[in-house]
Amino acid sequence: MQLLLSNFCAPLFAVIMQQAGDGALSTALQRAQNPDLSKFLVIAALLFIIGVAGVLTRRNIIVIFMSIELILNAANLNFIAFSRYLQDTGNVNAVAGQVFTVFVIVVAAAEAAIGLGIVIALYRNKETIWVDEIDILKW
Amino acid sequence: MILSGWEAVFFWVFSIAAIFAGLLTVMARNTIHSALFLISSLVSVAALFILLQAEFIAGVQILVYVGGVMVLFLFVIMLVNVGAEERGHEEIFNRPRQVTASVIFCALLAFGLIHAVNEGYKGFQARDANKLTTAAGDRAAAQQNLRVSGTGSSLITDDTTRVGNSLYRYGSLAFEIASVLLLVAIIGSVMLARTLKQEASVDDVSPDVMVREAAGDPELAALQVDPLVKS
Repeated sequence: MQLLLSNFCAPLFAVIMQQAGDGALSTALQRAQNPDLSKFLVIAALLFIIGVAGVLTRRNIIVIFMSIELILNAANLNFIAFSRYLQDTGNVNAVAGQVFTVFVIVVAAAEAAIGLGIVIALYRNKETIWVDEIDILKW
Repeated sequence: MILSGWEAVFFWVFSIAAIFAGLLTVMARNTIHSALFLISSLVSVAALFILLQAEFIAGVQILVYVGGVMVLFLFVIMLVNVGAEERGHEEIFNRPRQVTASVIFCALLAFGLIHAVNEGYKGFQARDANKLTTAAGDRAAAQQNLRVSGTGSSLITDDTTRVGNSLYRYGSLAFEIASVLLLVAIIGSVMLARTLKQEASVDDVSPDVMVREAAGDPELAALQVDPLVKS
């Protein structure tokens, strides 16, 4: 709960609550002024959830692809944040997360190229980009 | 790892921008608007990468995602966007059962993820507490080792060197496999996006399909009797 408070409420009320004194809110405020690994993880989790919601609710196949890009990007943010965290524990060469991110970006680019090729072929044959109208395999 | 001062301000600006742009990506009615909001979300995340001292990845993110993948997306949107006007008047989220199911799923996901972060947070909270005081000193010490650029006003980061060393030392096989994957993706997308005429002109269509399609398409029929294709 305190994490939620420090992540979302504190920056909004930062100006108003300057004279709030001690207590949970002021420690939350202090943490909002010094974001650490958990803030990055929460941001990445929110981006991931937005992407999942896009995949589940939208019916335009191109928007679904863009939501998948959002999900991959959230995973990249996690990789980079943990890589930075490991670097701070002493090993300055701990960049495995960044190397992995390069591969995630490569796979995302390949996926986008193939997926959009499929979209074009599908549009040429079915004249639609709405996934609820693409039901040839349903019987 | 702890950010302080202006870094914290930029962290909040860019993370809130990334999340709002992501939300608008999902909620925009116009597909082009979705793509543009996704671009701003990706740029904001690239700024977060810079805050995490991953400058190389931030550059790759902007070059590959924004410069390559999103331009591809925009091209495809403009190629296939004819059908968007037909259903443009409909609500985006107009299936209550679908929306309810996905909202429940996402709420569970959000609860699980936030709970996991919260639990794990306690572990390194104590360690980071005493780190805050030394963080600024550490950063200054680390920056002293960096080379000064030609103008003398900025420092050259060694992040790219470290990533390159790691990439070729530990991930060279994966790097080669990735290059083969990209080659396959190029060939596959060229094959997938061909028109029937292009397929016919390289004699890649079975004869009965060709006869059936040529019945309704004089251009295709003319192509069929082309002596170059027949031979």
